[in-house]
Amino acid sequence: MSKKKNSALDIAPSRRERKGFGQYVLAFLLLLYTVVCFLPVWLVFVAAFTDEKTIARNGFAFWPEKWSLNGVNAVLKYGDKLVSSYGVTIFVTVAGTFLGLLVMSMFAYSISRKDFRLSKFLSVYLLIPMLFNGGQLSGYICFTTYYHLKDNLWVLILPLCVTTMNVIILRTYIANSIPGELMEAAKIDGAGEYRTFFQITLPLLKPSLAAVGFMMATAYWNDWQNALMYIDTDKKKPLQLLLINIQKSIEFLLNNNNVPSSVRAAMGGTIPQYSSTMATVIVVIGPIMIAYPFFQKYFIKGLTVGSVKG
Amino acid sequence: MKDFFRNTWKHRAHVVMALPVFLILFFIMYVPMAGLVMAFKDYDFSLGIFRSPWAGLKNFNFMLVSKDMFVRMTKNTILYYLLFTSVGTFLNVTLAIAIDQLLFKKMAKTMQTIMIIPVFISYAAVQFIVYAFLGSNTGLINHMLGTNIKFYSNGSLWPWILLIVKIWKDTGYGSVLYMSVLAGIDSELYEAAEIDGANKWRKIWHITLPSLIPMVTVMLLLSVGNVMRSDTGLFYQVTRNNGGLYKYTQVIDSYVLNSILRSSDFGYTAAASLFQSVVGLLLMLFANWLVRKIEPENALF
Repeated sequence: MSKKKNSALDIAPSRRERKGFGQYVLAFLLLLYTVVCFLPVWLVFVAAFTDEKTIARNGFAFWPEKWSLNGVNAVLKYGDKLVSSYGVTIFVTVAGTFLGLLVMSMFAYSISRKDFRLSKFLSVYLLIPMLFNGGQLSGYICFTTYYHLKDNLWVLILPLCVTTMNVIILRTYIANSIPGELMEAAKIDGAGEYRTFFQITLPLLKPSLAAVGFMMATAYWNDWQNALMYIDTDKKKPLQLLLINIQKSIEFLLNNNNVPSSVRAAMGGTIPQYSSTMATVIVVIGPIMIAYPFFQKYFIKGLTVGSVKG
Repeated sequence: MKDFFRNTWKHRAHVVMALPVFLILFFIMYVPMAGLVMAFKDYDFSLGIFRSPWAGLKNFNFMLVSKDMFVRMTKNTILYYLLFTSVGTFLNVTLAIAIDQLLFKKMAKTMQTIMIIPVFISYAAVQFIVYAFLGSNTGLINHMLGTNIKFYSNGSLWPWILLIVKIWKDTGYGSVLYMSVLAGIDSELYEAAEIDGANKWRKIWHITLPSLIPMVTVMLLLSVGNVMRSDTGLFYQVTRNNGGLYKYTQVIDSYVLNSILRSSDFGYTAAASLFQSVVGLLLMLFANWLVRKIEPENALF
C-alpha cells in the first residue's frame, strides 16, 4: 500500500491533465453503461404505472402508450398480507442487524485485546467457517430437527446474524483506527471493561458499524431462501416470500388452462397482473433504494477498511 | 498452563463478550459441519442425523447411478464459476480504471451511485425484471425485435442470459473495491512517469494495473473456496426453477435446495453436500499454498 490513502469517493488526487477528446469518449461510454444499468430499474417503475391491457397487447415498454394507476391501486388489494409481510421483514431486518452488530463488535473487541491469550484460538475459531462449512442440507436439518425453529422468525435472524467477514471488518477497524491508549486511559480512570467497551469503543466504531450494518440490513431485507425453506404460516411470511408466491400463482394460472372458472373467480381479486406485480416489486425494493444513497459513503469506506489485512 | 488460566481469568470480561458469537457460530456453523456425516448414514426423519444407522458408501452410489445428472450439475457449477469469475474480474477492473481515469469527477460519482443500485435488488425481484425482458408474449425483447423467441424453453441461451444478469447486478459494486485501491495510488508515481515521457496507456499498464494485482489475488483466493457453491438466487429464481432448462442451469446448490423443498433424496443430497464442502476446502488450501509460494505477502493465512 502506498502512503497516500483516500476513500474511493474523494476520487483521485488532481492529475494535471487536460480534458481532451479521449475524456469525452470515455465519459460517453461510461454514461452508456450507466443507462444500461438503470434501464431495468426504470422498466419496473414504468410497468407499474402502465395500463394493464397495454402490457397484455404490446408487451412491456420503456415508454408506454397508456399510463394508469390501476396497478398501484391493485397492490392495495394485498392490503393485510402486504402490511404483515412488511412488519415481518422490518422486524427481522432491525432485530437481526442490531443483534449482529452488538455481538460481533463485542467479539471483535475481545479478540483485538493484545495480552488476551485466548484470542488466538478465537481468531482461528472465527476463520474456520470460511474454509469449511456444512452446507444447506445439514444446516436445514439442524434448524428443523434439532433446534425446532421451523416456522419461527429466529430462523430468519440467526443464519445471517454473524459472518466471519463482518467480524474481520470490525476487528480491523478497531485495530487500525481506535488507539489502544484510549482504552487504557479509561481503565486507569476506573471504568470497568464493559463500560470501556460501551462508552468508549462502541461510539468510536460508528463509521464501521454503519457500513457493516447497512450490508447486513440489505442481506436481511433481500433474504428469500431461508424464508422459502422454513416459513409456512402466512402471517410470518416476509416480503420476498410474498413476491415468490405471486410468481408461483401467476405460473399456476398460466400453465393450467383447465383451472375451473369457479377457481379463477375465487382467486379473482388476487389474480396478479403485470402492472400490479411490478408495483409490488417497487414496494419491496423501494426502502433500500431510498436508504442506500445515505449509506453509500459508509459502506464504501467499510469495504476499504475490511480489505486491508489485519 | 497456570499462566494461561490466570490470563483468562484476568480477561474474563472479554471471554463473556466473545461468548455470544462463539455460541452462535457453534450452532449455525459448527454443528452443521458435524452434520455432514449424514452422507454416510441411512437418514431417517424420526431419528435425526446422529442416531440414524450407518450406511457406508451407499449414498455415494448416486454419483455412479445418476452419473449423467451428477456430472452435469458439477460441470455446470464449475463452468459458471469460471465464466463469472473471469469475466467478472476483468469487468470490475476495467470499470474501476475507467471511472478512475474520468476527469469529470462529479459525473463519475453520480454514475457510480447508479451502477451500484442493482446489487441491492433481491433475486426474487430480479426474476420479474428478467421476465419483463424475456417473456414470450409480453417480453420487451421479442416486441422490440419483432421475433418470437421462447427464452424459457431454450436452454442453450441461458448461460448468456445468466452472465448478463450477473454482470448487470454485480459489476458496479464489484468495482468499488478496486477503485478504493486506485484512489490510494501515490500521485507522484504518475507525475514521475509523465516526466519520463509515458503516455496514458503506458501509465495504466505500468502503474495502475500492477497496483491492483494484490487485491485481485486476494479476491480470487477468497472466491476459490466457493467454486462448488453458486449464487443460488441466480439459478433458482432467475430461471424460475424451470426443469426444462436444467441441462444448462442446474448447479449443485440449486439441486440441494430443490431436494430440501421436496423433502426427498436426502441421502444423495448429503453425499453431494459433503463432496461440495470437501472440494471447497481442498481448493482453498491449494490456492492459499500457491499464493504463498509466489507472493507470501498476499496469502490469506
